[in-house]
This record gives sequence, structure tokens and C-alpha cells, in this order.
Amino acid sequence: MSVLARSVGNAFRNKVRTAAVVAVLAVAIGLALAMLVANQAVTGKVAELNASVGTVLTVNPAGGQGFEGGGEPLTAAQEATAAAVPNVTSVVGTKALRLRNAAEAAAETASGRTGQGGPGGQTATSVTTSLTAAVDAGTLGNRNQAASGASGSGTAGSTQAAPSFSLPVTATGIGAEVDSTGKALQLTQGTGLGDYTAASTGALLGTTLATKNGLGVGSTFTIKDQTFTVKGLFDAGTAFGNNALYVTLPTAQTLAALPGELSTMIVTVNSMENVDAAKTALQAALGSDKADVTQGQRNLQTAVSSLDSVKNISFIAFAAALATAGLIILLIMVMLVRERRREIGVLKAIGAPNRTIGLQFVLEALVLVAMGSVVGAAIASFASGGIASALISSSSSTTAATGQRGGPGGFPGGQGGAFGGASQLLTSVTASASPEIIATGIAAVFGVAIIGALVPALLTARIRPIEVLRGE
Amino acid sequence: MIEVKNLVRTFKSGDRTIKPVNDVSFELEQGTLASIVGKSGSGKSTLLSLLGALDKPTSGDVVVNGVSLASMPDAKLTNYRRRDIGFVFQQFNLIPNLSAVDNVMLPMEFAGVRKAARLERARQLLEQVQLDPDKHVRRINRLSGGEQQRVAIARALANEPKLILADEPTGNLDEQTGEHIIELLSALSRDHNTTILVVTHDRSLANKTERRFRLQQGRLTEETTRTRATAAVTG
Ligand SMILES: Nc1ncnc2c1ncn2[C@@H]1O[C@H](COP(=O)(O)OP(=O)(O)O)[C@@H](O)[C@H]1O
Ligand SMILES: [Mg+2]
Repeated sequence: MSVLARSVGNAFRNKVRTAAVVAVLAVAIGLALAMLVANQAVTGKVAELNASVGTVLTVNPAGGQGFEGGGEPLTAAQEATAAAVPNVTSVVGTKALRLRNAAEAAAETASGRTGQGGPGGQTATSVTTSLTAAVDAGTLGNRNQAASGASGSGTAGSTQAAPSFSLPVTATGIGAEVDSTGKALQLTQGTGLGDYTAASTGALLGTTLATKNGLGVGSTFTIKDQTFTVKGLFDAGTAFGNNALYVTLPTAQTLAALPGELSTMIVTVNSMENVDAAKTALQAALGSDKADVTQGQRNLQTAVSSLDSVKNISFIAFAAALATAGLIILLIMVMLVRERRREIGVLKAIGAPNRTIGLQFVLEALVLVAMGSVVGAAIASFASGGIASALISSSSSTTAATGQRGGPGGFPGGQGGAFGGASQLLTSVTASASPEIIATGIAAVFGVAIIGALVPALLTARIRPIEVLRGE
Repeated sequence: MIEVKNLVRTFKSGDRTIKPVNDVSFELEQGTLASIVGKSGSGKSTLLSLLGALDKPTSGDVVVNGVSLASMPDAKLTNYRRRDIGFVFQQFNLIPNLSAVDNVMLPMEFAGVRKAARLERARQLLEQVQLDPDKHVRRINRLSGGEQQRVAIARALANEPKLILADEPTGNLDEQTGEHIIELLSALSRDHNTTILVVTHDRSLANKTERRFRLQQGRLTEETTRTRATAAVTG
């Protein structure tokens, strides 16, 4: 019989108590591990958000956004001005076009309607295409159409049967391979457009738009009677986002017959900390009467700060659960040592060195913690995914509410899409228990267990054997 | 050779001090079989625990083969208990959840004896104290008092100590087994030159020892001194 065998035997001396101790340890260790995993997942997500979308500013013409509002369009000169602002790493210009199905537009003209009206602004950028929108008008589309038709021309007879109507397709000229929120395009097929600052007849189509029109990479279609070739397909993650296409910026400007004119500029700042300063500087450089600078991903920044608090809470919870596990094993070992004082005295009396006695109790504690850890790790592997996504989704729902309240009006579909993307991004956080994380957590508990066993055992071993042998 | 010099052990009990060991001095040659008799509470166990380095004297010293216990650091006292002393406790003090052999093997484990050798010697010792072979692997708390007493004696012999201190070793044994244990102890002192000091109530055991001490209120007196030959004759 060795020290180890004796320790294992002692760990099972009182089976009911051992089971209870292991169960309590397992819950504490499992919770600690789950919290560590959640913390890790949130940390990763925060870094990802900071790196990608948290640093983007959007510049719109003052008083206008998308196809709504008024004011003067942005120019190439303003693009250069924006690029010169400190901490700005890139400026990507975009030119948005609204594409109407050619056959439908002809039918509308014939019936006396002047195309989709609007409250003014940049309606001039509507052009015709051979494409059919992938989104059905539905109740919302028809309601919008009726409203804008009334304010636009007011000539359509209300008794007249409504002609076939579909939503327009958004075509955006972009100066780099990013979507209208500054995120890199997710190409699912094909290639990009190469040089986005030169005119080309290539286009990138959203997956649903391509499917609706039976197009694939290499297929052709027309915009304003010019033939374009599909170079790639992208997935924006939302139905609205996928009912869109991208061409290069000069191509869009040529199609709109407005060379050098921009709808928006997507400005990327070098780091999260500099975003606020850069925003102020950019607004000052462009002039508040000329351009509106908005932090398009304000909601994401809020998300990051709320994720940061989740990160802190999960770390505190990890530390607390770990401390609880430590406290449990500490108290158990103190109790066990007290209970076996006499036995320690006997071992001392027959010549056991203090280190042997210490080792015996440390091994016993480790056996208990090892069993607790195995059960706890099993609990954690079941629970951590749920805990992490619960923490993150609850934080992102509050974020969405905050964002919506402060968000700009107009183009609600677009904003909704952005929110959809953001919450999808956040809820897609999945906690994966990396072996390193688990090892760190368990090592910490083992460390506490060693101290918890060693200190009381050595304190008892140090007193004269007769003092513990007498009496009882 | 063990020399006991002016040994004193006092305890504070409330506001009065008791002196179970009060200025005790004696010497034992190596290989002597000696006994201490005395009324209950006269300090026999206290004296034995001082000799076995389980306790520290209030004053005085125990010198074993020229080495003073009073000046020994704790780790050296542990070595002394492991190598030089075999202690048979009045209440056995065995580890209850271990088997008889495991208990006997423990002191050898602490002394670094290899496992196979420990097991063989443990079984041999248990046979010597006449414990049924089928009880060797039985847990201590499932053995009778007399059986536990024998395991305790076997454990004390494990590391072939120079000095065996036994506190009422026959107290729980029937007459026949008691006789056998006494014979075993006297054979050890004779054949292995082991010094043996036995605390006993048992007249016949005391009469078989070469030297007999009486402890009365902490004071030690020697009753008679006989040679081994006469002891054997009268015993
Ligand atoms: N640690 C202690 N504290 C107080 N009194 C003690 C202690 N140890 C022994 N005594 C007392 O010393 C006396 C002698 O005890 P002991 O040596 O056990 O006697 P014996 O073994 O001869 O029956 C008793 O009165 C006992 O109560
Ligand atoms: Mg006694």
C-alpha cells in the first residue's frame, strides 16, 4: 500500500460524504468553467467587433440620406478632404442607384404614372434594368407605393386597377469591395470586380436577386440598355441586402450621368478609441452645412460596451465560482484533518515524516477535486454554450432597443437590415471550450486544493503526537 | 543503552499543577527486559511517551546511545521514532480503515523498505504474534480487541527497533496469548539484543522481567534486581 493508494482509499472512506462533496465541487467547477468559456467567447467577439465594424463612420450629404431628403451631393473633392483627416485609414465613396424593371416602368408610363415618386431628393438616379426584384412588394411595399404615388404625382386615379408593381433593386457603385456599411463583402461565388475605381461592365449580385432572375457567374443583364456581366455573387445575410447589386463607383456615376458625385462616403478610422475624435474632425473638415457624419455602427459600439460589461461580469462570476470551489475544498480538508487528528498523531508516532502526512492529504484532496473537475467539466460542456449565448443575446436585445431609439429615421428597411446583421453577428457567438481554458481553470482549483489540504495537515503534523493521541 | 536523567513532566490542570513524572532517573543496558508497575494514574503512560519522543519533558533529558533527545530537532525525533522505537499503545492506535498487514507495513513504508519485502515481513510478524492468516487482510475495525493488540505489537516490531516501549500489551489478551506475547518479547530481548520496557498490571509478566520499577505519584523506585536466570526460574 502506497501513499497514493492510502489517499484514494481515504477519499472514499465515507462514500455518502464523498458523493456530496464531489457534487458540490462539480457544480462550482462547472460554473467556473462555463463562465471562463463565456468570458473567452465575449472577449473574442469584442475584439472582432472592434476590428471590423466598430470603427466605421458614414458621411451623407447634409439633409439627405439614401434616396430621401435634399441638399447638395457629395463630391470627389470632399472624399480627398475626408481622407486627410487624422486617424482616417480609408475613405470609400458609394453612388446609389435605384433600378426599375424596364418593362414595368414602360407600363407605368403608359398608364400615366411617372414612376415611383418620392418626397424629392435624388429621384433622378432611378434607371431601368432587365432585372426583376427578388422581394415581393407585399403589404408594406404596396402601402409605401400608394403613399409615395400620392405625394409624387397625384395623377393616378384611385379607381384605376393597380398595375403590376415590384420593388426597385438597389444598385450601389462602390470604391472598394465593401458593402454599404463598410464591411467586406461576403462573396459566395465568383470573384470581385478588380479595380473598383475604374469603369467596368462587371457586377456583383445578391444571391436572391441572382436566383430570382436565373443568373449565375458569367450571365449577363442590362442596366439602362448597357450589358453587364455577373462577376460574383454575395450574401449580405438579409433578404433586403440580397436584393441588391454592386458595380464599380465610376460605372454607377456614369449610369447616373453624374460623374464625381457620391451618395455616401464610408470612412474607416484606425481604432475604436479614435472614432469620436475623428467624427468631430471629419464633420469640421467637411462643414456641417455640407455633410452629415454619422456613426453608422453606433449600435455596435453600444453593443461592444455592453459586451464589455458581460465580459467583466462573466470574469467576476468565473473568479467567484472558482473561489467557491476553493473554499469548499478548503473547508472539507480542514474538516477531514480535524476528524483525523488522532490518525495524524499515530502516523507521526510511528515515524511518518511531515511531508508524507502532507502528501497523503494533498493527494486525497486532489482525488476529490479531480472527480469534481471531471463531473464539472461535463456540466460545463453542456451548459457553457447556453450560458454564453444567453448572456450575449440578452445584452444585444437591450442594445437593439437603445439603437432604435436614437437611430435616424428614413430608409427604415436599410436600418432594419443593419440591425438584423448586428444581432445576427452577436448571437452567432458560440462558446467553444478550448482545452487551454479548461486546463487553466482546473489548475487553479487544484492549486487551491493543494494549499487547502497542506496547510491544516502540516499544522496538525507539527504538534507533539501525544497531544492528539490523548483524550479521545 | 538508555539513560534517563532527572525527567520531569508537569501538567497544569486548572489552578493546580500535577507532576505525573517527578524527577525520574534510571539507566537500562541494551538488551534489558524491564517492567514498570504502578497504580492507575501514577504516570506510567506519561513516562513512556517521554521515552518514545511522543512528548517533551518539562525538564530533564533522555539520552539514547549518547544522543540527547532534548536537543533533537523535530525531524530528527521523527527519525528516532521510526528507526529506534517500537511503541505499543494502550489503545492500540491502529489505522481503522486499513487491513492488518497494511498497518504493519506502514512503518516500513516510512523507512523506505521495498513493497515486496514489506509485505513478506508483515506477514511473518503477524504469524509470530499468532494472528490467523485469514485475518491478515481484514480491516482493523473488524478485528477483536485481542487481535488488534497483536497487530499493534507486530507493527512495533516492524523496523527492528532497538527499544520497544509497550503500554499494557497484555491487557486485552487472554492468559494463553498473553503468555505467548511475553515469551515473544523476552526472546526478542535475548536473541536480538532489544531493550524492552513494559508497563503492566500483570504480576506474572512483571515477575518475568530482569528489572522491575514501581511508579508512585511520579516517583520511580526499583523493586528488585534479578539476573535473567533467576527470573526465568521463579517465573
Ligand atoms: N495532557 C495532560 N493534561 C493534564 N493531565 C494529564 C495529561 N496527561 C496525563 N495527565 C494526568 O497525569 C496523570 C498520569 O497519567 P498517566 O501517565 O496516563 O497514568 P497511568 O498511565 O499510570 O495510568 C493522570 O492524573 C492524568 O490525568
Ligand atoms: Mg496508562
